[in-house]
Order: sequence, then C-alpha cells, then structure tokens
Amino acid sequence: MTTSQKHQDFVAEPMAEKPVGDLAGIGEVLGKKLEERGFDKAYVVLGQFLVLNKDEDLFREWLKDTCGANAEQSRDCFGCLRE
Amino acid sequence: MAGLSDLELRRELQALGFQPGPITDTTRDVYRNKLRRLRGEARLRGEERPREAARARGEEAPLRARPAAASPRAEPWLSPAAAGPASATPGAYGDFGGPAAAWSGSRGLARPAPLRRRASARGSSEEDEDGRPFGRPAPGASPGLRRWWAASPASARPPSTLLGPDPRPGLRVARAGPAASARARPEAGRRLERCLSRLLLWASLGLLLVFLGILWVKMGKPSAPQEAEDNMKLLPVDCETKTDEFCQAKQKAALLELLHELYNFLAIQAGNFECGNPEKLKSKCIPVMEAQEYIANVTSSSSTKFEAALTWILSSNKDVGIWLKGEDPSELVTTVDKVVCLESSRPRMGVGCRLSRALLTAVTNVLIFFWCLAFLWGLLILLKYRWRKLEEEEQAMYEMVKKIIDVVQDHYVDWEQDMERYPYVGILHVRDTLIPPQSRRRMKRVWDRAVEFLASNESRIQTESHRVAGEDMLVWRWTKPSSFSDSER
Repeated sequence: MTTSQKHQDFVAEPMAEKPVGDLAGIGEVLGKKLEERGFDKAYVVLGQFLVLNKDEDLFREWLKDTCGANAEQSRDCFGCLRE
Repeated sequence: MAGLSDLELRRELQALGFQPGPITDTTRDVYRNKLRRLRGEARLRGEERPREAARARGEEAPLRARPAAASPRAEPWLSPAAAGPASATPGAYGDFGGPAAAWSGSRGLARPAPLRRRASARGSSEEDEDGRPFGRPAPGASPGLRRWWAASPASARPPSTLLGPDPRPGLRVARAGPAASARARPEAGRRLERCLSRLLLWASLGLLLVFLGILWVKMGKPSAPQEAEDNMKLLPVDCETKTDEFCQAKQKAALLELLHELYNFLAIQAGNFECGNPEKLKSKCIPVMEAQEYIANVTSSSSTKFEAALTWILSSNKDVGIWLKGEDPSELVTTVDKVVCLESSRPRMGVGCRLSRALLTAVTNVLIFFWCLAFLWGLLILLKYRWRKLEEEEQAMYEMVKKIIDVVQDHYVDWEQDMERYPYVGILHVRDTLIPPQSRRRMKRVWDRAVEFLASNESRIQTESHRVAGEDMLVWRWTKPSSFSDSER
C-alpha cells in the first residue's frame, strides 16, 4: 500500500506534541472536529487507538462516529498510527 | 441492550467471542454498536442453521464478526444520536430524580442525622419545662421532643447544612454548629455530646432545686393568721354579760380562738384521713357533735359559743378554711341547724405524707406527658416513613421510564437495521422484557405510573394501538427526532 506524503512526514520522527491535523487522513475540518471533542494532540488520538486494543474496525468506526471521517480517511489515519 | 453496565457489556461481548479493550467514555458507544451487530449476526445465523451446529456457529461467529462488521459500513450513515442515547452514563441516572425530589428527599435524609444530635439538645432545654422530679434524663424524652423541632424548620431549610445555625436561642449547639460544619462529623458529634451532657447535668440539678423549693413552700403555708388572735387573748376581764366595746372585742377574740382550735382540729383530722387514716375515720367531714365535744374539752366553752362561732362562719364571706356541710353535700347551708358536719379545706399532713403525695402526682403527670409525647413521636416516625416510601417510589418510576425509553429507542434502531419487523413495540412486551416474572406484581404500581408518565410527558414516544400477531394491543413507537433530542448526552 502506498503511503501519502503526510504519512511519511508523520512517521519519520517521534510524535511529541504534533497537532492532530498532522495525522494522515485528518484534514482541517476533521481536525477541528476532533479538537472540539478534546482530542487536540496526535498522542491523544493514539491513546484512543490503544484503548481500543489497536483494533482496526473499532478505531475506524470510532473515528467515523467522532468526526465523520470517510473510509479512506480513517484508513489512512489508522495506517499512520499503526506505524 | 440499553441499561447495560460496563461489566455486563464486556461479558456480553466476550460471550459472543469478541475481546473488548477498556470500556471508557469514549469507547462505550463503539462497543455498544459492536454488541448490537454481533447480536444481529448471531440471530441471523441462528435462523439459517439447525440447532446441532450451535458449537460450530459459536466458533465461526468471531471469524465472521470481522468481515460482517465491514458490511454495516456500507449502510447509510446513522446520525450519532442513535448511538448516543444508548450510552447514557450511569451517573446520569441519579441526576434524573435529583432535582425533582432534591428538597424533600434530602430533607428526609438529612433529618435522621441531625435529629439524633438535635433531639438531645432539645431534650435538655425542654426538660426545664417538663418539671420532672429528680431530673433523671430519660432517653425516651429526647426523641419524643422531635415534634417541636419538626415544627420549627417547616420553612425551607437549606438541606446541605446538616448542622446549620439553630433558630432556637440559648442552645450551645448553635455555637458549635458553624464550626462543626467545617470539621469531620464524628469530632463535631463528640464535642456536641460533651456540651449536651454538661447541659443536662445542670438542668437536672436545677430541676431538683426547683422541686425542693416547691415542696418547702407547700409545707410552710398554714402559719399566717395566728398573731391577731394571740394579741387579743391577753386581758383577763370577765366579759360574759357586758356589751361595751372592749368586751365585744374580747368576745370576738374568744370566738376567734375557738375557731382557731376548731380549724386546727379539723385540719389534723383531715390530714390523718388523707395520710393513711389511722383512726379509721369515715370521711374528712367531722360530725358536728364530735367537733363540739372536742372544742368543749379543749377550750371549756359552752355550746352557745360554738353555735355563735358557726354563725359567724356562715355570715362571713371570707374563706376561713372550714366548710360547713349539710345533709345534702352539694347544697349550701344557710342556718346553723342544717349543719351536719364540718370539714377542713386545708388538711395538715406530715412531711413524709406530703412528699409521697407530691411524688405520686408528679410521676402521674409526667407519665401522661410522656405518653402524649410518645404518641406524637410515633406519628412523626410514621409520617417520615411514608414520605420516604413515596420518594423511593418516585425514583423507581423515573428509573423505569428511562429504561423504557432506551428499550423503545433501541428497538427502533434495530428496526432500521432490519432486525425487527415493526417499528413499534408492544407495551406489555416491554414490561415483560424489563421486569422479571417474580417482580411483576410488586412493580405493578411503578410500571403503571411510568406508562402514565410516558403517555403524558414524553414527546419522542408515541402510544398507539396496532394489530400485532393478530391481536390489538397498545404499542410504543419511537418517533425519530433530530439528534439534539437526547437529554442524557
């Protein structure tokens, strides 16, 4: 699976304090929605991913529930976090 | 489906072969949807295969769960609100009944705690008004006096301040109250107890003193009208026949002396009669003859003088302490002939006798008082019990209403996912789902109230009549509102 440039950028270095908009698949609109829910940093979303036991389906469904991400966006996000 | 606690949700998921991660606020919705989907698939598969393949089905279920989970994704996206109501936090349940019954509920709750402390404070201060002998504090008295406490805070008291400022003046509790509300309760309670026990001690000592004082006063009464007559007895002039002023005064003095003797005699006799009757008298009323004999023995005066004395008593309006009684006790006597017996209105009794009589009277009065208090206290207990019961019923009703709303909504969501046949669900079916058979009779009242409440106060659920499985029954239908309609979220 080919990865986007954003994905490469994100996984190249440690997450640290990167904002949630830096995640692959999360654009401006989705990023804003996530921030409204309290997921303002990428590590918080990572936290949610881990809490869901790194389960792909559950995480993608959660992402859809929370910010309305479509299939492609959620897949990108998941792939990014998994790495 | 709804109303599952986190643990139950976890167990259900595991029973269907799925291993969930932690269930937190953010993951609860997700897992609930997962459970719903798994259940739907389990049901579908149960209709396809025969029962013997149950085991195989159980093994396949987790395998199928993953790819099947992908299929709902293709469906049109349900609004988040559909998943939202199912995820009401458990904490919200308590809040529902809270505002409605906050004042009365916490009032009922707050009462027992401060009552125990308040009552003893009341008991000590109000014992002063009791007049109990020997001041022994009875545990029965203090709770009984809650009645007065109950009357005073009838106006709205802030329920949060359990040991708040006391309206009654002069209680040490008021001093300890504001300070104690900031501290831990046991410590405040101990201080309170110390203050109250000291108060009780002083109150009982005061009562004892009061009692003794009253006793002494009652004992020392009949010593007043002595001096006037004593003065007159001094001059030894013979005044039988003369009628000048001096002699008249002397005669009057003699008369008074006679009366005095008579009074004493009657008083002593009456006292003896009251105090155990050692001479076996028939009544307090002494027959005229007896009295006359006695007076003749003591003062050596003739019967004319005695009659004159009686006439004087009859004519005077003052109360001399001697009652003249005729044949008919209720009639007033007007002439000397009618007088049959004499009675003293102030019997003279010994100290021991007086003491025992006083004690008896006091004890009987106090007992009556206590019976009244106990009765009122029992009434209060009964009332409080009733109020608490009503509160609980109301809470139970609101819980039931919440569960019903969840069930109906889930049913509707299931219908939208083609797992149910009709968008409405029978009322009785819901009842049988929520209430196990053994509790149905017990919860009948709660159920009926909940149904009433829903019919009148819930706009998202419609009560309709439909034909279900060939029979007409009342059903509830979830009217799909916008996503803002969930107050629990």
